[in-house]
Amino acid sequence: MSYKNNIRNTTRAKGLENAIIVSILLFLFNLVFPEHDSLLLSLINEVLVFLVLFFVFSYVQPFLSTKIDSPLTLVLNAGILAALIFAIISISNSLFGSFTEEGARLNIFNSLFSIILIFVFIATLIYIFASFRELFFLRQKKDPRIYFNTMQVFFAFTFFSNLLFKIDKNFDYPYEAFYVVSIVLISLNSLRVSWIAFLVKKQKLYLLIISTILSLLFAFNFGLLLSETNTIRQIIVSFSPGLYTIFSLTMIYGVIYFGVIFFTTLFHLPTAEAFDRKAEEASSLMDLTKLITQVFDFKELADSITSTTNKVCNSHSSWLVTKKENEYQLNSVNNISYVEADNLTKILLDTEEVELQRVQTIYFDSVSVELKNEMKEFKSIAIAPLKVHGNINGFLITARYKDVNFDEDEKKSLQAFADYAAVALENAKLIAESIEKERLEKELDVARDIQKKILPDHVPYAKEFQVAALFVPAFEVGGDYYDFFQLDDNKIGFIVADVSGKGISASFIMAEVKGIFESLSKLISNPRELLIKVNDILKNSLDKKSFVTVIYGILNKETGILNFARAGHTPVLLCSGNELERIQPPGIGIGLDYSIGFANTLKEMQIVLKNDDIVAFYSDGIPEAKNAQNEDFGYERFENIILQNKDKSLDEITSVLMHDLTLFSKDHSQHDDITLVLIKWTKKN
Amino acid sequence: MADFNVNLRGVGSVSVIDVNGYLDAHTAPELENVFNKLLDGKNYRVVVNFNDLKYISSAGLGVFMAYVETMRENKGDIKFSNMKESVYNIFDLLGFPILYEFYKDENEAVQKFNELGLS
Repeated sequence: MSYKNNIRNTTRAKGLENAIIVSILLFLFNLVFPEHDSLLLSLINEVLVFLVLFFVFSYVQPFLSTKIDSPLTLVLNAGILAALIFAIISISNSLFGSFTEEGARLNIFNSLFSIILIFVFIATLIYIFASFRELFFLRQKKDPRIYFNTMQVFFAFTFFSNLLFKIDKNFDYPYEAFYVVSIVLISLNSLRVSWIAFLVKKQKLYLLIISTILSLLFAFNFGLLLSETNTIRQIIVSFSPGLYTIFSLTMIYGVIYFGVIFFTTLFHLPTAEAFDRKAEEASSLMDLTKLITQVFDFKELADSITSTTNKVCNSHSSWLVTKKENEYQLNSVNNISYVEADNLTKILLDTEEVELQRVQTIYFDSVSVELKNEMKEFKSIAIAPLKVHGNINGFLITARYKDVNFDEDEKKSLQAFADYAAVALENAKLIAESIEKERLEKELDVARDIQKKILPDHVPYAKEFQVAALFVPAFEVGGDYYDFFQLDDNKIGFIVADVSGKGISASFIMAEVKGIFESLSKLISNPRELLIKVNDILKNSLDKKSFVTVIYGILNKETGILNFARAGHTPVLLCSGNELERIQPPGIGIGLDYSIGFANTLKEMQIVLKNDDIVAFYSDGIPEAKNAQNEDFGYERFENIILQNKDKSLDEITSVLMHDLTLFSKDHSQHDDITLVLIKWTKKN
Repeated sequence: MADFNVNLRGVGSVSVIDVNGYLDAHTAPELENVFNKLLDGKNYRVVVNFNDLKYISSAGLGVFMAYVETMRENKGDIKFSNMKESVYNIFDLLGFPILYEFYKDENEAVQKFNELGLS
């Protein structure tokens, strides 16, 4: 096998060299022996001619293979060369018709001329033959090489059987037999013209004309050299009878082949349009498939869909509408104005909405539309739903002026395009959603950042009391806020607040609450008064459905008196001795009521702290922490932890609480912030 | 996350909203839709039946705050009924009972509206 390939490769690669060498040999041989009547000289001559044919063919053939996808070029090239032959024959007939007498051929000029002529003929023939070969192999599914090779072999037999005439003038049976077999094989091979089917209609029409001309041209070429007296024939035959055989066989091939092409094309013409449309449909579906994966922009895809719909469905106008929250939105129009398409859509969808689960055609007596400043009437309109998971997300609509029904194929194509649009629309939606999700995550990052910045980074320190704080943010930012304010030398303000809602909006309110408390706490030394003022201020920035719960207390470290007020916040826990008390003075959440009712309800409490008393300010994130069964952590667990650990340090209490909370809600995500501020009175009083 | 269902029915001239499951920031829009529908239909007398509500978050509470003003401006109201203790405690902590009417039974709440209507 490799040996065989090797040979093939060298013959190919050195095709030109070989061809030139043999040609020169042939040329010299003919200069030396212009007349070769003896069998041996004839044989040498024929072999040389054959080799030239063979090598030129091996050189030309791979070069032609590159044109495999443009059969019309091959046909045209073959045609031009056939015309060249025709021209040479005609011109030389008129030029040299006068001096074809015996002896004239001895003339060196004539001899040179004939040799050049011969080489031109050889080159032309080979090129034509190689073109036929390429056309033969075009679009063949199985390997038909054996048929063509057989034919080539018989061409060779016919070529060499000419020599038999040299032996005996009457010994012509083999020659004629080979000749006839060759023609039969030519006829058989000429039937392989399936490539015609793949031409578009225009090309088929073109081919129909070309094949008529070429068939006639080849017939003329063959016919002109049929008469024994023709100059060119005499030149060729006297040079090499075999070459004439190849010439006539090639011409016959041309006649038969282009004859077959003519009739095949003729029969293909009626279906050409349907074939074109199918091909168009297939290629546009392929294009759309590519687009669907690449295009993030739905508009671009919609534009290609409407334009292909127009082409494939033979429509005049197409447009695509999508449904967004029960509103129809025009995405793309092709050959129709937005206004007209919008009007038509409204008319169509108002009447047909209910039934549109699959493609439908609708006939109108007259729907006038203005297209390019011209009034037209749509006679038939087809409409296909954009369906994904059973939901209709829009419609693809296509319309014609002509009163011709959309056939099944066109409807199927329309639905196919609609399906593509539906998938693309779904993709676009998913992408938008993922972008939105990413945006929300960024937003949460910002919210977390704000929260982190507004929370204090250390707890106040005094010898009279200890303070510990625990803060565990929820993923979505729950809106908890705690802080400490040094009011004067003796007084410290404590705040724990919870803004309703989550995320960035909650964190902005948080920041505002911090700002208000930062400034007002220094001015208003009464917790109740302060909360009333805060309610008034926040009226302007809280929307109707937002509120803030606050517990605000002021501790006097001289006296151990804690004054505090509660606005809708979780009760204060006071652990004194072995008792734990839940203190819940009345107070409405900030933002619930901006009337005088808020102030009227709000009551301030005062407790006097005793040694080792623990006060807990916290957010609802602790008692409302959930476990897998959606049960609350509750007040009892919380209170027990404080009671049981009251003698430990505050940091230990917070870590025990944290530990228990984590254990309790290990199978449930933390959905609210957890905040705890513990104050322990350590001064003996 | 958790399931939430809301159902709207009419009892005479009063609209009763049954809330069911977990009302939080993610499910609150469903309840908002119902309230919007009520406003569209100019139904301002609303009783919310909490019989099957298991949990309410601050976002859930916000829904009532957002609509109660409009209802009251139009001589209507939002009244609450059939609340579980755990849910009531959340409302109570915030001071809702000072601003809203709570009833043990839905009929009481409806009755209250009807009395008003007669007077």
